[in-house]
Amino acid sequence: MRPWREAMWGIVRRDAILFASYRTQFVSQILGPLFTITLFYYISHLLTAKTIHSPGGYFGFVIVGLVIVQILTLSLGIMPITVRQELVSGTIERFLVSAHGPVNGILGTMLFPLINAMLTGVLMLGLATVIFGLPLAATAVLAIPVSLLGMLAFMPFAFILVALVMAFKQVTSATQFIIAGLAIVGGLYFPIAVLPGWIRWASEVQPLTPATDLLRHLLVNTPLAHSAIVDLLKLVGFVALLLPAGFALLRVAIRYGQRTGTVAEY
Amino acid sequence: MSSITPAPPTATSETTPGDDLPQVPGAPTPTMKPVLELSDLYHRWKGPKPPVLDDVSLTLRAGEVTWIGGRNGVGKTTLLRLAAGILLPQRGSVRIGEFTPSSRGGRYQRQIGFLSAGDRGLQARMRVRQQLDYWARLAYVPRERRAELVASSLRRFGLEELAERRVDRMSMGQRQRIRLAMAFLHEPRVLLLDGPRNSLDADGYRVLGEQIEWVVGRGAVVLWCSPRGEDRVLACDAGYTLEEGRLERVE
Repeated sequence: MRPWREAMWGIVRRDAILFASYRTQFVSQILGPLFTITLFYYISHLLTAKTIHSPGGYFGFVIVGLVIVQILTLSLGIMPITVRQELVSGTIERFLVSAHGPVNGILGTMLFPLINAMLTGVLMLGLATVIFGLPLAATAVLAIPVSLLGMLAFMPFAFILVALVMAFKQVTSATQFIIAGLAIVGGLYFPIAVLPGWIRWASEVQPLTPATDLLRHLLVNTPLAHSAIVDLLKLVGFVALLLPAGFALLRVAIRYGQRTGTVAEY
Repeated sequence: MSSITPAPPTATSETTPGDDLPQVPGAPTPTMKPVLELSDLYHRWKGPKPPVLDDVSLTLRAGEVTWIGGRNGVGKTTLLRLAAGILLPQRGSVRIGEFTPSSRGGRYQRQIGFLSAGDRGLQARMRVRQQLDYWARLAYVPRERRAELVASSLRRFGLEELAERRVDRMSMGQRQRIRLAMAFLHEPRVLLLDGPRNSLDADGYRVLGEQIEWVVGRGAVVLWCSPRGEDRVLACDAGYTLEEGRLERVE
């Protein structure tokens, strides 16, 4: 396990070095969320919807959604782009000829974006609390393990997107489509209750809804739609079901590319 | 991985431009032990084209240097990619001893050093030492030997003075030295080199020749592909041209 661990750390270190080498990236990663929070803070003054039962009003409700969107964008959204860059620059070939292998290499490539996304989420909540007076609940610290579980539940979507990149090379529009679709049916900007009945089923068949429900409860004390146990069981179920399937699909896509020769194309 | 006892040649010996190009094996007489075995390899790209490789077989025995030439697009890179395990054969097999590219734990890949054609495959914004350390980790070089092998590679390929410089600020020839250093770093038994002379100056070519001489002296094998005859190692053990999917021996 030690060589595997050290190779994984090597990839995280590589990505941290590359991230730090673009000096404006860090600044823009703070300013972007800050402006978004500011925008929604003032929009929330206009809204007094009765369907929102959050102690912090609409701002308290939507801030959790914004944090989750940011995390999805920086992890799920960035993965296919990163892997595509690796294909174009030929660095993915290093994984293919290394003892670490392409599947582990791609797994390692996912780690830094996940860490970065988590830290950005924490930063957003910090800014919302310090600058805009978000009433953060005492249970907020429990959101960390729930976020990790939520990320595990979303890893398969990243696997699927990366598998599509390996097979078809370009899926940027699909990523945007998936994140926007999840934001609608997962109730990130508004309660699911306002959705028409015919689409509401979609809220129950993906992991974003239980993750959002739990995180809102833990972070800003919004009442749960289901019990916490039900939400947790749903998340664990999604992880158990989707993670092996996503992993298998990634392996198949890489082997398909190796067999047909498209793995070297970009 | 076998351990090294004699110190490898370094890139510090004096040369002047125009020095004779390296005469590689004067080293050991090749033994009969096969190291890399390519058997009946067949590969066909999509579309109504003939196969690029049609039942190609090649065995490299310990201490051998083999050159393969041929026109552009004839399939040399495909052959090397199959040997490296980047591509999987549509038919036929690739073996190093008991291992195939699909063997668990990267056991096959641990034994190959691969240099792709062109100048790709480097992390542009990393420093040279970071780049080599990163590769050593991916190659599962044990922690105890990593720093030593990175330092040794920097020395052998004349990169010591560039160790703390970023890759994207270097010339093509310097980048090629880094790519070569990565291919040799983890002491592979099989070196697969696709156009290794690309962008190298006379000194770089001499260094490459010395390193090849040193690794074949330890029983490794080298498969060198380049389009032109003058690019090959001058005294290789065997030479082939690839034409219409088949290898033909050249003297």
